[in-house]
Amino acid sequence: MKSHYLVAGLIATLGAATPGRTDEISALTRLAAQHVAVNTCASCHGRQGRSIAPKFPVLAGQHAGYLAAQLHAFKAQTRGDPDALGYMWGMSAPLDDEMINGLAAYYAAQRPGPGTQGDAALIARGADIYAKGIAAEGIPPCASCHGANGAGTDQFPRLAGQHAQYLLKQLRSFQSNLRDMAVMHGVAQGMALGEMEAVAAYLESLSGA
Amino acid sequence: MFHPRMPRGSRAAILMMTELAAWLAAPVARAVPSFARQTGMACEACHTVFPELTHFGRMFKANGYNIDNLKPVRGITATKEEMLALSGLPPISLMVQVSQTNLSKNLPEGTDLGTSQSGTVAFPQQISLFYAGKIAPGVGSFIQLTYGNDSGSVGIDNVDLRWADNRLLADDRSLVYGIDANNNPTVQDLWNSTPAFGYPYASSNAAVPAIAGTQIDGTLGQDVAGLSVYVMWNEALYAEFGVYRSAKQGAANTVTGEAGPLDGGTSNVLTGAAPYYRLAYEYQWGRNSLSAGIYGATFKLLPGGEPDAPQPLNGPSNEFKDNAFDFQYQYIGEKHILTMAGTRIKEDMTLNASYAAGDAENLTDSLTTSRLYATYYYLRKYGGTLGIFSTTGSHDAGLYPLGDPPGLVTSGNGMPDTKGWSAEFDYMPWLNTRLSVQATQYSKFNGAGNNYDGYGRNAADNDSLYFLVWFNY
Repeated sequence: MKSHYLVAGLIATLGAATPGRTDEISALTRLAAQHVAVNTCASCHGRQGRSIAPKFPVLAGQHAGYLAAQLHAFKAQTRGDPDALGYMWGMSAPLDDEMINGLAAYYAAQRPGPGTQGDAALIARGADIYAKGIAAEGIPPCASCHGANGAGTDQFPRLAGQHAQYLLKQLRSFQSNLRDMAVMHGVAQGMALGEMEAVAAYLESLSGA
Repeated sequence: MFHPRMPRGSRAAILMMTELAAWLAAPVARAVPSFARQTGMACEACHTVFPELTHFGRMFKANGYNIDNLKPVRGITATKEEMLALSGLPPISLMVQVSQTNLSKNLPEGTDLGTSQSGTVAFPQQISLFYAGKIAPGVGSFIQLTYGNDSGSVGIDNVDLRWADNRLLADDRSLVYGIDANNNPTVQDLWNSTPAFGYPYASSNAAVPAIAGTQIDGTLGQDVAGLSVYVMWNEALYAEFGVYRSAKQGAANTVTGEAGPLDGGTSNVLTGAAPYYRLAYEYQWGRNSLSAGIYGATFKLLPGGEPDAPQPLNGPSNEFKDNAFDFQYQYIGEKHILTMAGTRIKEDMTLNASYAAGDAENLTDSLTTSRLYATYYYLRKYGGTLGIFSTTGSHDAGLYPLGDPPGLVTSGNGMPDTKGWSAEFDYMPWLNTRLSVQATQYSKFNGAGNNYDGYGRNAADNDSLYFLVWFNY
């Protein structure tokens, strides 16, 4: 929170890397981001991005592009779900592009954790919705964007191994448009609470590794 | 709290009352909106419900109150070393407490005239001004100035100044280390199971204070200055060691009339350096966290005297060895929040000074204070706390004297034992506003249930009902 920002600022001044290209992040930025991740972000998101409390999302193995986009959205105060306001608007305010890319790269490089098993029937129902959607209710298969195993892409987040509580809150935030995102609002709009819970339980059970 | 060198009689009781009232006015705990302004984070990031800290709140404190989203006024050297990072807005907050206290039975009159008032409205009970936030890179402060209705004046309150830095360890573990200066033992602590920030977070200053309390349990607050070093490994293992020196406020040398070395007109002066230690471990799983630890200090106090009855500030002293353990459990869910915490403080006294002067019956005495509480909140809005407390100790009619009428803060049987429970109901219409009702009942007070003070007052007569409105902004 101190010297590492200075380091980051120094890097920004020197123009050592290009925003958005995590593959071009310098060693200095990586180190500065690692320092911030370990000494600040870790208090909620856990060591190496594997958060303990389900209020805070697992970041380990999340795609760098998605992470960077979220950090920019927090900083611009355009992501409006309650925990984004309460925590991340403030946390992201001092981050510059270099640090955002560095943090995104840091978490993308961490090994995702194993899944957490819950109610087998709920998981089975969630697996079905995830893979096939619910045609009658106009709910598309989640797998079509997030991948068959929930691993996601740079644009669509990895969901496998994510805390169910976090996923459920996000689905509800998409549904209510607190988290304003047209695609996910369309998906979540018709979902019943039980369906959301099932999908969340299924995704939490998947190993992220 | 007690005063081994206290002269006997009604004057003693009055003095004791005055000092106890001053001590009780010393605030207990505070959550500070200027931290929220500085970090840009809502209260819930650092607090379950103020002033209880979450894990993140503990780390924010350990890191020197340094997370900052405000544009700073900066100064750097040619080598880009950061020499100034002044917050864009001064981290100022205000706290207002308005209260009413009803006692089960009126206090006895101190003179033969009149009847005492049955209830106390405090408007305010306390107003505090805080400067709480980052001061410089790695340096943060929590400074509190308080106006209290009992003193009718503004005085220094809790102060916690710290510098902190951190390191990356192997396997991405963190190491936070720092230096802390404070004026109240345990005010620097990170958990709500130690005295300074433990339940009750606010209490009436119009209720009757018990005759005995351990030194580390708030007795020395604002009368000492401590300097300590601490480390926190992996956000789990915390170790601190420090020393406290005497730093009385409002005490002047009677010869010079100025601040300076204290003279014998001052009582209970800490002599030498009192070592303080703290070791704690926190384990987190799911929505839960559990911490357990030990803490303690050894204080050597010179009894001294009063301005009109000075006693030399040298010679033998009274030694108080305080050793305590504590634990805290937190469950922080989306709707439900549950906290359980407790501490047990054992004080071993060697009263070389008071025993020699005939103010203590025994050369060695002991005193044990235990507290246990559970707090539940629903949606951070509706909540309550149930707590039990107990202080027990050796018989010593010198330390816990019968005194003269009207009694009240005296002991009829020379015992310090005070036991009871309290229940508090809270409503938080907003995250920075608390409305609460607190009931306290005693089964024993200053040694007995019935006629505890030797003048006919019963423990239950001190039962109280306390209504509080508490704003932070």
